Amino acid sequence: MTSNAPALECRDVTVRYGDVTALSGVTAAFAQGLIHAVVGQNGAGKTTFARVAAGLVQPAEGEVAIHGQPIRTGQVAAARAAGVELVHQSFALPPSFTVSEAMEFGASGKGSLFSRRGLRRRWRQHLSDLQVIADPAQRIRDLPVESQQGVEIARALITQARVLILDEPTAVLTPLGIETLFARVRRLKASGVTVILILHKIREVLAIADTLSVLRAGCLVDGPRPAAAIDEAELTRLIVGAAGPAPGIQAARPEAGPASAASFSTQTPALELHALHTGADSEGPGLEGVDLRIAPGEILGIAGVEGNGQKALVRAIAGLATVQGGRILLGGQDVGRRPLGARRAAGLRIIPFERNTEGLSLSSSLWENWSAGGLLQRSLLSPVRPDRLRRDCKSALDEWNVRYHSPAQPAGSLSGGNAQKVILAREIDPGARLIIAAQPTRGLDIGATSFVWQALRAARDRGAAVLVISSDLDELFDISDRVAVMLSGRISGRFSPPYSLNAVGAAMTGAATQGEAL
Amino acid sequence: MITPLATVARSLVFVCLALALCAALMQGLGYNALLVLTSVAEGAFLRSGAFENSLRWGVPLFLTATGVSIAFRAGFFNIGAQGQFYLGAIFAATAAQGLNGGPAFLVIPAILCAGMMGGALWALWPALMKLGSGTDEVITTLMGNFIAGLLLVWVTSGPLKDPAGSGQQASSPVLPPAYRISDSSGVSPMTLGLALVVGVAIWLLVNRTAFGVLSGLAGRNGTMVRWQGASSWRIGLSSFLLSGALAGLAGAVEFAGPTGRIASGFLPGHGFTATLVALVANFSILGMAAAALFFGGLAAAALYLPIMAGLPAAAIEVINASIALVITARARVLDRLTGRKETSS
Repeated sequence: MTSNAPALECRDVTVRYGDVTALSGVTAAFAQGLIHAVVGQNGAGKTTFARVAAGLVQPAEGEVAIHGQPIRTGQVAAARAAGVELVHQSFALPPSFTVSEAMEFGASGKGSLFSRRGLRRRWRQHLSDLQVIADPAQRIRDLPVESQQGVEIARALITQARVLILDEPTAVLTPLGIETLFARVRRLKASGVTVILILHKIREVLAIADTLSVLRAGCLVDGPRPAAAIDEAELTRLIVGAAGPAPGIQAARPEAGPASAASFSTQTPALELHALHTGADSEGPGLEGVDLRIAPGEILGIAGVEGNGQKALVRAIAGLATVQGGRILLGGQDVGRRPLGARRAAGLRIIPFERNTEGLSLSSSLWENWSAGGLLQRSLLSPVRPDRLRRDCKSALDEWNVRYHSPAQPAGSLSGGNAQKVILAREIDPGARLIIAAQPTRGLDIGATSFVWQALRAARDRGAAVLVISSDLDELFDISDRVAVMLSGRISGRFSPPYSLNAVGAAMTGAATQGEAL
Repeated sequence: MITPLATVARSLVFVCLALALCAALMQGLGYNALLVLTSVAEGAFLRSGAFENSLRWGVPLFLTATGVSIAFRAGFFNIGAQGQFYLGAIFAATAAQGLNGGPAFLVIPAILCAGMMGGALWALWPALMKLGSGTDEVITTLMGNFIAGLLLVWVTSGPLKDPAGSGQQASSPVLPPAYRISDSSGVSPMTLGLALVVGVAIWLLVNRTAFGVLSGLAGRNGTMVRWQGASSWRIGLSSFLLSGALAGLAGAVEFAGPTGRIASGFLPGHGFTATLVALVANFSILGMAAAALFFGGLAAAALYLPIMAGLPAAAIEVINASIALVITARARVLDRLTGRKETSS
């Protein structure tokens, strides 16, 4: 081992998933014995970078060297042997195992026989050395999140790891848990371990990191550079990049906009949320006191890094989350205790996050998918005429310019853009009063994207309220009459045009500058 | 899209494959496979009276299979048809005893309704456990079969015991002929008419009501239907209860029809065979009618096998099991093929 060689070095690493380039020509060297932060927005390539370093992803091009020794890329065993361990964003330990079993499993020991007590004794020592508070006899699923993460880290350190990569370790933690984690990371640094943290919250980065590197759209835009010489504003700029809406979307913007919003604004709000609280779940934090208000004829954009409570927000409005406190009003009616069917009858429409599971049944025909919402508003035994449904579906899909052969073809045979249009055709009907559009353009090409925005604008101009959730700020700024930012289950900023990229970016990452109050 | 004709052809191919497998097995065991197969064919359809006998077994199989298919469509693997069938028979027998002496035009419908209620009740608790707390319905309905079997033993040797019974097999008294919907041949205008009415009603339900469209969608993607505002209770519970009710109806038909009483452990493989009927037919109503007749024929042939081919009647179960094996393997292969189709498009 060369003493001065970087702990981890990447040269020209490029990773492609199909047509998408997740990392392009990343070259970086991380010095030994420091805490390095790799930051960036969603889809910037942070997790891919971590996986390349840990041997989970085979890069199309490029090399990885550990302590100066090139390793075979794309092989976990090679990375492990060189001392690289990765703790995943979503934990990877088997939930039904006890702590000691999981540790033994992680050690992938020789196939000898164990006694339970022997296992516990063996791992209790290891855990206490790392100051992880967890009873080796407890099951993983029964541990609090902080301890689970501690066990994950302890598992990663079984094999004398020299380079420990933590992918978004703070995403699941409370502020206190984050303090504990950071103390642990500092102790690891003191013991000579090089730690690479994948993070997106600027305050956390500046609190812990010795150096930082910024990824944007798969490219390393800066770093590693000393964290001491950078301030929040500059880092925000580096992460978010320069503003500039996509030209195709700009052109599609109608002249109406805010003026039309004004004409509806005297009416009862389409949606009001008062101090809404929900529980946290595996997909991110719950809501911790969210207040929102959308008027008919208005588009409210929800910005924020993914996993900050956006899913909980949509599920709560849909009535699919356990609401622990607060009120939900649709058109002035308190619907907090009413099921989604009743909310839909009151004009709620949802374009859900997961197009292929929540939005469509891929193995069912287009007409069945299209008519499901309407049929659910009827009695189960009400007669249907499939030929008539097929005909109605056909005229609706034609109107929405869906490219398809027959209403009887399965939804899974459509492209992503056409599948999304089927959902739009179903959800944006004359009865729609409040449309929730969750990442409505994800994975769509530019043509389909601008179609979606036009459809939502048209619905807004007809007087519907629209709540758009997107992690693409350019898109949000372009379509939204107002923008609210979510961070850790709260609204961390509210903005109206003209939007300041820096201010919104600061609210997204939790930097000191707070958004102008509305 | 798979055309109905292709489905039929495929089912036939798989049944033939299973029969060939059995033939090879029997030949290997030293029997004359050709003689076995011809005696099965004779016992099922060719011999005089054989077709009638196949109908006798086919009618209850068809009723139960439609029930299995209703649950399956909605995404629930109800393999408790046997228990629901038993509970249907127990309820029917209880109703018959309670109403003994009443006019037949009231008692017979009451017997059939009681059977449906019994079957639905035996589907109710697995449905509540599934929908309420996610308990796997495969486990609960399967276990329910054993409990129902023991209930039947208790009922036939206790509350409904035939006082004149020989004690060989615990059973209830024989139903008075006035309340029977068929004689022991099991074939009568009433049984066949009932099968026809149920077949048409289920076809209409599946193909011409909101329930049909929505339960199919829920079976293929429950998440999507939930996001469309469905309460999983409404569709799930009604599918489950209807599924049990149809198996219970088959139990009542068996009680008021060919058997004329309930006996501990009667028709032991009925629910299993009915599940096979539904699977072979790929849940189409016409297909289930044909498959019920086919498996009914196998059951009818079971009587001929020992005489004609020197084979124990249990050989029919070997044939049933081979078909189950091939059908299950088919489902796996198809899953993989369709899975590939979805990812490639």
